[in-house]
Amino acid sequence: MKKYILVRALYSVVTLWLLVTIIFGLVRLTGDPVAMKAEAGADPAYVAQLRHSWGLDQPLHRQYMGFIGRLLRGDFGHSFEKSLPVRDIYFERLPNSLKLGFAAFLISLALGVPFGMLSALKVNSVWDNAGKVIALLGLSMPGFFVGLVLIIVFGIQLGWLPVLGKGSSAFVWSAPSTWATFWFRDWAHLAMPAFALGWYFSGAMLRITRSGMLDVLGSDYIKLVRLKGVPEAVVVAKHALKNSMIPVLTFAGLNLLIMVNVSVVIEVIFNWPGVGQLLYDALSNRDFPMVQGVVLMSGLLIVLLNFTIDVLYGYVDPRIRLSR
Amino acid sequence: MATIPIATDQTVAVLRVARRGYRALQNVPVIPLLMLGVLTAMAILAPIVAPHSKLDPVKPLRGQCLAKFNMPDCPYVDNAPPFWAAGGTLDTPLGTDSLGRDVLSRLMHGARISLIVALTGTLFAGAIGTILGVLAGYMGRWWDEIIMRITDAWLTLPSLVFAILLSSVREPSLWNVVLILGLVFWSRYSRAVRGEVLTLRERDFVKLAEINGIDKLTIIRRHLIPNVMNTVMVLFSLQVGVAVIIEASLSFLGFGVPPPEPSWGLMMAQERESLMEGRWWLEVFPGICITMLVLSANMLGDWLRVRLDPQLRNR
Amino acid sequence: MTRGLPLLLVALTLVATSYRDATAQHAPILNGALAKLDIKPAQIGARGTPKGTLTIAMHFALDPGWLDPLEHSYAITQMMYDYLVHDSMIKPMPYGYVAYGLAEHAELAADFRRAAFRLRPGLKFHDGQPLTTADVKWTYENFKGAYAKLFHDKLEHIQVIDDRTIVFHFKEPFIDFMDLYNGGVSGIGWIVPSRYYDKAGRDGFKAKPIGAGPYKLVSQQAGVQMVFEAFDDYWRRTPATKTIVVKGIRDGAARMAGLQTGELDVAFGMTGKLLPRLMSDRNLRWDPNFTGPWWLMFPGYNEQGSPFRDKRVRQAVSLAINRSFLVKQETQDISKPWGNWISGENRDALQGAEAPVPEYNVEKAKQLMKQAGFPDGFEVEYLPFPPYFDMGERILTDLRTIGIRGKLQSLEGPAFRAKIGQGRKGVPGNRTIVQNIDPRAGGSKSNIAVYAVCGSTASFVCEPQIEALWAKHQASLDPVERERLVKSIQRILLDEYYFVPIYLNSFVHGIGPRVLPEGKAVSKYWDTLNAPYPWPWEVWEVKADR
Repeated sequence: MKKYILVRALYSVVTLWLLVTIIFGLVRLTGDPVAMKAEAGADPAYVAQLRHSWGLDQPLHRQYMGFIGRLLRGDFGHSFEKSLPVRDIYFERLPNSLKLGFAAFLISLALGVPFGMLSALKVNSVWDNAGKVIALLGLSMPGFFVGLVLIIVFGIQLGWLPVLGKGSSAFVWSAPSTWATFWFRDWAHLAMPAFALGWYFSGAMLRITRSGMLDVLGSDYIKLVRLKGVPEAVVVAKHALKNSMIPVLTFAGLNLLIMVNVSVVIEVIFNWPGVGQLLYDALSNRDFPMVQGVVLMSGLLIVLLNFTIDVLYGYVDPRIRLSR
Repeated sequence: MATIPIATDQTVAVLRVARRGYRALQNVPVIPLLMLGVLTAMAILAPIVAPHSKLDPVKPLRGQCLAKFNMPDCPYVDNAPPFWAAGGTLDTPLGTDSLGRDVLSRLMHGARISLIVALTGTLFAGAIGTILGVLAGYMGRWWDEIIMRITDAWLTLPSLVFAILLSSVREPSLWNVVLILGLVFWSRYSRAVRGEVLTLRERDFVKLAEINGIDKLTIIRRHLIPNVMNTVMVLFSLQVGVAVIIEASLSFLGFGVPPPEPSWGLMMAQERESLMEGRWWLEVFPGICITMLVLSANMLGDWLRVRLDPQLRNR
Repeated sequence: MTRGLPLLLVALTLVATSYRDATAQHAPILNGALAKLDIKPAQIGARGTPKGTLTIAMHFALDPGWLDPLEHSYAITQMMYDYLVHDSMIKPMPYGYVAYGLAEHAELAADFRRAAFRLRPGLKFHDGQPLTTADVKWTYENFKGAYAKLFHDKLEHIQVIDDRTIVFHFKEPFIDFMDLYNGGVSGIGWIVPSRYYDKAGRDGFKAKPIGAGPYKLVSQQAGVQMVFEAFDDYWRRTPATKTIVVKGIRDGAARMAGLQTGELDVAFGMTGKLLPRLMSDRNLRWDPNFTGPWWLMFPGYNEQGSPFRDKRVRQAVSLAINRSFLVKQETQDISKPWGNWISGENRDALQGAEAPVPEYNVEKAKQLMKQAGFPDGFEVEYLPFPPYFDMGERILTDLRTIGIRGKLQSLEGPAFRAKIGQGRKGVPGNRTIVQNIDPRAGGSKSNIAVYAVCGSTASFVCEPQIEALWAKHQASLDPVERERLVKSIQRILLDEYYFVPIYLNSFVHGIGPRVLPEGKAVSKYWDTLNAPYPWPWEVWEVKADR
């Protein structure tokens, strides 16, 4: 087991290193941030000084070594555009993205799981077909389309929900009193972006729940329970549901991370100050340290999650950890 | 003593084929194929069938200029509503946009862009991913390790973000979007294909080929690739939908197909402010088109998946 | 009676000293002949209690670097924050092209080798520390922002006479000093607290800036939002609004939605398709906020093989653009077709009868194209200023009528600015048309210095005639002659169609119902010249219901 964990840990590190290097190179291909910051008519001394303060006048390998060195100390550098340390800005924004991601995740569960169960229980019936169509629609409508329609209907025409930002509550790392309350306030601001984001994933949830339930319902274990004479409702609620939740939750966990990273368009439309918008701005301005930092952090989270899942599976299923 | 006439044999044969054909037709997903067919027809025939140009504003009819600007003559009439609303004409049945261009014609030309980009991009991704997956699965430990680590690293990058990053490297254009789609999505294929190949290479027919001394390349070509095609095709059909949405998102954010080409995502981006003005048709029609295309691709993909995977067939 | 006399004298003295007026005599600082300066005295306002919250939406993400004048960029956007948190020695105000701010008296020697300032008494920073000439000196010496090299190279030494009086000595005549020291042109006049900056450091200062301006920064979320609170001890007056919240909202539709739901009080950049809605909503108001003119440039026009080498082709381009229809479509008729590429807010810019709006004549344009040898037109690349791609497409539609077929290159803002900033290196072809706008402060000469002389990296124009006039301008010490030369240069650029002006841009700002005064009078906040944003901020009033 230990060997297994070590090997997977090594893999994770290698993946991360590859990720960092790929991003480092790619980002430097996208253009010259100094040229973008300096206006027309800027005098060359100003431009040169800017280039020097950003470390871009050094040869590429020096920049890379410096970058890796600082990274190992936890220093992600200073944002070119926002002039503050990347790490501070990222962690300031991260709770916002997590809040949006969690809310979207809950919505996708609330919409997808019940309908998925219904579909599985009444296979090939009208309900099932309806469920399939809803799931497909969810996966087919672009998130920005849904978001725009929501803004028009609920924000402007009906005026029920605010259309901008996340409200006034903030998660301040240095103020523990905000750590709990942040997640529950300003739900009105959260409603529309979370729905637009969660809508897409509810389709996937529906399908996973449906196929998971069908798998379990057709299994020998359930047949045995039924033979014992347990009423159908109990069969479903107590046995089928519990066992079908494992694939659902695994998938859901991955989805959560994907949501946090993929919410760029939603964040832009609703002006939600999350990590996606941070990245979008950084890319437009060729803010190298910010892009590198955000992508690295997102990648780190995904790699950590994969590592955890691998270890858990290895623990649960001996075949996996004993192969190769 | 009557001999059975040959005609009856032939009739029986024809009937059998017809019956099989009818059953096949029953199982074929009619709706998505129909939708896809319509969209493809629109795409192919757009230059011929579209009533107006995709780039130039529509020449206004008599009276339109007067009605809108109170001028006898004007270069174009912008923001005309669809033909069923007041101020709309059958000449521009779905209305005109803020530059006076016909929405229907632009939608038809947009189908070309969406289809070309989605299909070529996904094909490109599929080709790279399949080759790399086969190599990883079959060529040995080092190949596997290196390719899989790169695949993992690739997969940790969120696709939209990666796409935006790549599109910043060069100026936005249609073929750059295809390139980007290929570069972003190949990793999805290589994982699955590698898994397939790992199982395949333990199979007898592959082992026999190896024993007979056939070189690796030929084995790959003749035995492995045809057998992973099922998985690849299913993935392909599911990925086409994703590709369409990514292209639309990229164009929406300004990183995809550049104006004035009528990409559906771009049309939605450009007319967002019109939605607030109440000119819903400029946003909703492209959105419906995107949804239809993705929906039909997804439904087709589902059908293929069920068809090609015996385990799922009886659900 | 004798008892009343001292009382009367005391009363008179009180009246005399409390009456601050332009005609009050300031003791001279420099000896010798002085240059004529036109700086308006500050209008001191009443003291009271600040009330209410004003929420403003900017059209891009906020940069904490804007809070630091020492690293002032060339971009004029930073000045919005300068006017909030800091104060400048002299700066543009609604009541004057240049007015006194922290300084109450300034002198410039006639030979332009010395400049002197006297600070007004009792100035304080937000933390209560006094603002003295030590801070003025420190700011000048530590300035790293735009024009820093010029300022440092020309300086000989700084003489601090006392806590309130300071003299700058230059190595050679620095005729543009007062123009550049102006807070509306560069950042060196925005005074920074030296001791606090040293203690806090670069990062600390940007996170928690201290200045002498009417508002203090209370909190910020980098890129997203900044919250400011009134500084009651501001020398000019108590700010009328207690809290100002600035949000960075890139998306035009989102800003519009915010205005309509009341979440925003002011939104910048309501352009294009948002205008009809803004104009038709009875609850909202708007200010046209004219910034500068749009104009077209032809990179590489003077190379062999460029179709724009021939003046007739450039003139044809100008004749083909239907400016009045364009203005109607793009800006709901708010903007005005314009005859110059420099806005009329610069006193030395050609305008009105001197620079009439170019004519619209497609037939004549076609004829000129034929005469120049392009009866069937040609293909070009078209580079519009982001995000005005629609405007670019409309112009391309116009150009198609005379045969010029353009392909639009749509870049994002920073990428476009980078290309333009690098001039020929950034836009290498010779069949390109660039659509640009640049409402920079500092008079017409700063526009010419960037776009019309061979020596500038960003310039596409290089003509010997213009170079000769420019050389004379740089050598001259006579303001009247300088103005004449600047106008001649503009004349050449316009008559030869090196630049094709289109229309004066209106960068419309939307105003919500909570901003006082009610009705159209709210436009008074936009009175400051050469200001794309409605500064100063201490005069803004809102309904105190939040």
